[in-house]
Amino acid sequence: MSLFLIAALPFLGALFPALLIRAGRNASASSAALASGLAFVGLMLHAPAILRGETVQVGIDWLPVLGLHANFFLDGLGFLFATMILGIGLLIILYARFYLSRQDPMGQFYTYLLLFQGAMVGIVLSDNILLLLVFWELTSLSSFLLIGYWKHLPEGRQGARMALTVTGMGGLAMIGGMLILGNIAGSYDISVILQHKDAIQSSDLYLPALILILIGAFTKSAQFPFHFWLPHAMAAPTPVSAYLHSATMVKAGLFLMARLWPVLAGTPEWFYIVTTTGLITMVIGAVIALFKDDLKALLAFSTVSHLGLITMLLGFGTKAAAIGAVFHIINHATFKAALFMTAGIVDHEAHTRDIKRLGGLRHLMPVTFVIATVAALSMAGIPPLNGFLSKEMMLEEASHTYWLQNPYVVPALACFAAAFSAAYSFRYIAHVFLGPKRDDYPAKPHDPGFGMWASPALLVTLVVLIGLFSAKMVGPLVDAAAGAVTQSHPHAHLKLWHGVTPALYMSGIAVGGGVLLLALHAGLERIWTALPRPEAKVIFDRLTGALTERSAAITARLHDGSLTRYALIMVTFTLVISLFAYGTGTIGAPTRDLQDVGLLPLVGWICLIVATACIVLFHRQRFIALILIGIIGLIVSLAFNFLSAPDLALTQISVEVVTIILMLLALNFLPKQTPAESPVPARMRDGAISILCGLGVGGLIYALMLRDFAVPSISEFHLANAYKGGGGTNVVNVILVDFRGFDTFGEIIVLGIAALVIFALTEAVLSTRVRAYLLNREPDMPQAGDSHPGLMVVVTRMMMPVALMVAAYIFFRGHNLPGGGFIAGLIAAIAVIMQYMASGFGWATERQRIPYHGIIGSGVLIAAATGLGAWFSGQPFLTSAFGYVHLPPLEEFELATAALFDLGVFLAVVGAVMLALESLSRFAWQPGIPTEHAMDINPARDTAAQDPKEA
Amino acid sequence: MQADLSVILPEIVLAIYVMVALIGAVYTSKDKLAPLLVWVTAALMAVLGIWIGTSGSGSTEAFGGMIVDDAFSRFAKVAILLSAAAVMVMGQDYMSKRGMLRFEYPLLVALSTIGMMVMVSAGDLMALYMGLELQSLALYVVASLRRDSAKSTEAGLKYFVLGALSSGLLLYGASLVYGFAGTTLFSGIIEVAQHGHVTIGLLFGIVFLISGLAFKVSAVPFHMWTPDVYEGAPTPVTAFFASAPKVAAMGLFARVMHDAFGHAVQDWSQIVALLALLSMFLGAVAAIGQTDIKRLMAYSSIAHMGYALIGLAAGTELGIQALLIYMSIYVAMNIGTFAFIMMLHRDGKPVTDIRALNQYAKREPGRALGMLVLLFSLAGVPPMLGFFGKFFVLRAAVEADMAWLAIAGVIASVIGAYYYLRIVFFMYFGSEGVEVETSRSPVLLAFFSAGAALMLIGVISTFGLEGAASAAAAMLVH
Repeated sequence: MSLFLIAALPFLGALFPALLIRAGRNASASSAALASGLAFVGLMLHAPAILRGETVQVGIDWLPVLGLHANFFLDGLGFLFATMILGIGLLIILYARFYLSRQDPMGQFYTYLLLFQGAMVGIVLSDNILLLLVFWELTSLSSFLLIGYWKHLPEGRQGARMALTVTGMGGLAMIGGMLILGNIAGSYDISVILQHKDAIQSSDLYLPALILILIGAFTKSAQFPFHFWLPHAMAAPTPVSAYLHSATMVKAGLFLMARLWPVLAGTPEWFYIVTTTGLITMVIGAVIALFKDDLKALLAFSTVSHLGLITMLLGFGTKAAAIGAVFHIINHATFKAALFMTAGIVDHEAHTRDIKRLGGLRHLMPVTFVIATVAALSMAGIPPLNGFLSKEMMLEEASHTYWLQNPYVVPALACFAAAFSAAYSFRYIAHVFLGPKRDDYPAKPHDPGFGMWASPALLVTLVVLIGLFSAKMVGPLVDAAAGAVTQSHPHAHLKLWHGVTPALYMSGIAVGGGVLLLALHAGLERIWTALPRPEAKVIFDRLTGALTERSAAITARLHDGSLTRYALIMVTFTLVISLFAYGTGTIGAPTRDLQDVGLLPLVGWICLIVATACIVLFHRQRFIALILIGIIGLIVSLAFNFLSAPDLALTQISVEVVTIILMLLALNFLPKQTPAESPVPARMRDGAISILCGLGVGGLIYALMLRDFAVPSISEFHLANAYKGGGGTNVVNVILVDFRGFDTFGEIIVLGIAALVIFALTEAVLSTRVRAYLLNREPDMPQAGDSHPGLMVVVTRMMMPVALMVAAYIFFRGHNLPGGGFIAGLIAAIAVIMQYMASGFGWATERQRIPYHGIIGSGVLIAAATGLGAWFSGQPFLTSAFGYVHLPPLEEFELATAALFDLGVFLAVVGAVMLALESLSRFAWQPGIPTEHAMDINPARDTAAQDPKEA
Repeated sequence: MQADLSVILPEIVLAIYVMVALIGAVYTSKDKLAPLLVWVTAALMAVLGIWIGTSGSGSTEAFGGMIVDDAFSRFAKVAILLSAAAVMVMGQDYMSKRGMLRFEYPLLVALSTIGMMVMVSAGDLMALYMGLELQSLALYVVASLRRDSAKSTEAGLKYFVLGALSSGLLLYGASLVYGFAGTTLFSGIIEVAQHGHVTIGLLFGIVFLISGLAFKVSAVPFHMWTPDVYEGAPTPVTAFFASAPKVAAMGLFARVMHDAFGHAVQDWSQIVALLALLSMFLGAVAAIGQTDIKRLMAYSSIAHMGYALIGLAAGTELGIQALLIYMSIYVAMNIGTFAFIMMLHRDGKPVTDIRALNQYAKREPGRALGMLVLLFSLAGVPPMLGFFGKFFVLRAAVEADMAWLAIAGVIASVIGAYYYLRIVFFMYFGSEGVEVETSRSPVLLAFFSAGAALMLIGVISTFGLEGAASAAAAMLVH
């Protein structure tokens, strides 16, 4: 039968039990058994070839880009495991049919079980480590469902959670190890990887890969310090415990170690990690098991201990040890599954698994007693049962293993663990079955029907047969499996009598010690309960709890909702990576000299710095800050002028005036001071980071300015073409209205929209209660009684025509000399704003008859029309044209379409600024109140002057 | 001109539609029209997505190289359009039930989608910025869509302020790059930015560009807005944030890094690797303490961006292929997960506390199973599709001699698995408590089941995803 089919059969079979449950429990169980059975038969058809040492391979590509192939191969090791999985699976299916009660949803159970079985078979047959990973996690998943099958038990829930968390995480860690392994070998196929021992072991990444893979294997096989999940998973139904937690799933980790043994084993790292872990697990598991009163917990810890034993054997890295490991895998599966089933029978019949409430069952349950006794004796390592054979092999190997040059550590501990192992095995017999019959069992125990004890009986028969006729029964299988593990052709010497060897002495000591320990059990137990001992589950819970709290605390600190903190982190990080960039990059020597610093620029610079520093100091006083900003703006415009950029200077200064006035208006409605939010240390820290960032940016600019540009500047192009192409000598203006006219066109639209948005927001706000609040608010300072001083009114009215004239002048000269529509627009706006300021909003609005929306719109339309005009002469949008006109009384002058465009800019700017200003002013203006004439004298003024408090 | 316009025809169509719809809605029935607009917009975007996916071939430049239409941009555009359409349709019911469905919502989403389409096909720093800002401005508004909620508006404001800061950084970087490369065209920059000859000015430009872009992909430490916005915004908006914009930002990031600085990979890959590392770990660690599933998904998305950035940090063709595959899978997972989150409610109010899921599997075994699949996929557990995404990027890292990054990624995914599994645990084994109801919306159920099913079916056939991603990556990596 094709390996594909063998791997697929359990999955296909998983469909039926759930469907057939309506047809009865027997139909459901039979369908499950049929699928497993067919797969088992299919597997057995390969047996002759495998036992001859051949391997069977099949494969198809799945995701070749990723190196994922659906490749399967069957060798001795895979065959051994697949036989166990399918064979014991069949027995479990039979057992579970009788174990589960009528209330349990049996169809679901078998579905999960077969899913799990399929995943396990997949693991052991995979020839691709990615495929193996897929099946690996599938076992975690399906076991999660199986462990949590009895959802009503709280321990079941806890157990499922821990099992899933630990094994799931281990599996994820393994991905990393697999990835590295595949990368070193150049293929993700196991058969290829196995050929690359030297490359893998000499790689720098060997250790990380080894650790990651071992984390996966250790978590799955419940090795120290991950051993705690297994006993807690025992809340699952007993068939699940017998199947997953003794025979199959927990052996997946061992399988993986054995599978990769040829390439990973043999190094000191492997020896010390694997052997030590196995040894510790073996000892801890054995000791704890002795003091467990729950039958299944006892068996669970004994499983942990035996898994540790096998791990240790694999860790030795020798061929003989590998043979011992393989052999013990077989033996452990047989006796431990049988023991679990007997524990289940006891639980099922006596309704308790508490050893303290049991005893004397041999009279009531003779069949179970025989089965359990044989299995337990095998576990204790009593000849002639199979457990004895492999334990001998283990002790033999341990007796000549040096750990850090010390010959005694390993054998002593192994012997110690073996003694405990014997003790708990004896206890299982003595305290459950022997002793006097009691009369307080929760239920009246009796032997179950044949269906339930058939499976363990069959296993126990195997225990005896393997023990007596080991070489005949399993010799070839062990050879084939060990051959696959060690990649050689070993021959296992399986026999009962090896002569008087150190192992035999140790075995004797162990058995004797076991009997002694059992005799002293009551006393030891008192000591054990009195001893403070770390409970792994508590530690796990505390650990996860603490880590959760820790992470919540970290998160709370990082994400405290403060915008300052967010900005701080962003800016600091940018600063750090900038420093990194500075460190890694190369910067040549400066190619330019510093210019001489004259007195005037120095004074300007000092003013700038002082004003800036003052803003930082006084930023809480809003008016002072605003004035300081004004100073900075002025100095910047002076600097522009000094550096021969008159256009920029003009723009800057007019923008400065307009913005300061707008901000004054806005400040009128705000408190005069801002509250101090942050404590001093935080401010110091923020200040330090700001200074560092400022210095960084400043330093960068300084460095850049001392060096020539990497590429020629585009200024030359504009200087050369401004007059030729745009008909103007003012390059800045030509750029604005001609070269980049499209940009400007977009900008005036945006400006207009911005003004409209301010207008719309004002409308929205004024239609709410905010308006009443604003009108009735108590101002911070007493208001001046004289809102419209006569002097200002007079002066501004006189200034109005002058300012407008200046605007016109600036507008017309713009094309050739500093100026232009934008600046002119701002100046015109200032002329009007002055009227608003001096004479009052009501007065000015009355006289302002053209709505500002209209001015903006006309500006944009004029600009657009100018642009469209170009189309009539077959030119693209916004192509400018110019010509010279000579009208007799005047001198020849230039007419450029750009001037018309500039008019659009002018109007848009005037409209936008004024609309924004008007909107902001309306907050404080009440249309109902009759407008006070600008030149009127407010009678309240005098009283206000006399007694400011009253006002 | 004709040829240029035909390259951006899908964008033009969508833009004209948005403007017409906006004016139409303003002058007619306003919000009453919103459900219809959602469907029409989504349908249009889906049609455009299919059109782009099936029609385009080869590589075309438009507007002198400012806009590039190639396999990479088409791949990203299809992902963006389809996921945006899906998320919009998904959230329609949720939002209209709670009176949040305004007509601006579909249109803003469409506008930001146009921005994203420009982003991924940008061939020039200016086109890049244009697309980025169009997308961001629409997103700022969408983030604070729930105007009556202080949390939502606060989140939106923070997002806006920090976004402005990051845009500033990006622009500063762009101007430095322009100053030292002499051009804003990627094709010109790459000529100048040769490894070993990268001047310090250019290097600073790259650093600032990366800072700005990292904000958009919400990579640590530029991620701070993410949890706040995810939690504050209505769930459909959160779902949108977690899908298309992430693809677009990642696409843009990859495009800039490879198209403009593809000859100087060594100069930026360490920074990207650092971002990836920080994102993966912070995303994993910070999510553990969360009880709000939306906030948890925020950290989850941060971690996922970290993984995707590994693909970028690798600096190879395989890396870009991995990144694209990762992002596609990520989007599919998120759509499914958010469909589930949107279904949860109690007395008509949305529920986002994960403890409300206690014993969920008992009441809704099918949905719990679907969510289990999605969560396992998010955690990257094989055999779900999420594993393949993760494996792709990790493999790209190992092959680019960045095994340390891959190992770190594995460790982060181990930590991250904890919180995904915790939700699974609550669903299956949580203690009895107040029950959560699940809405019966067929749309949500359809997307949820499709998402979950895809996580399993995708394993068997990826529907040509790797092929397309490979072609796209080949286009991008020089």
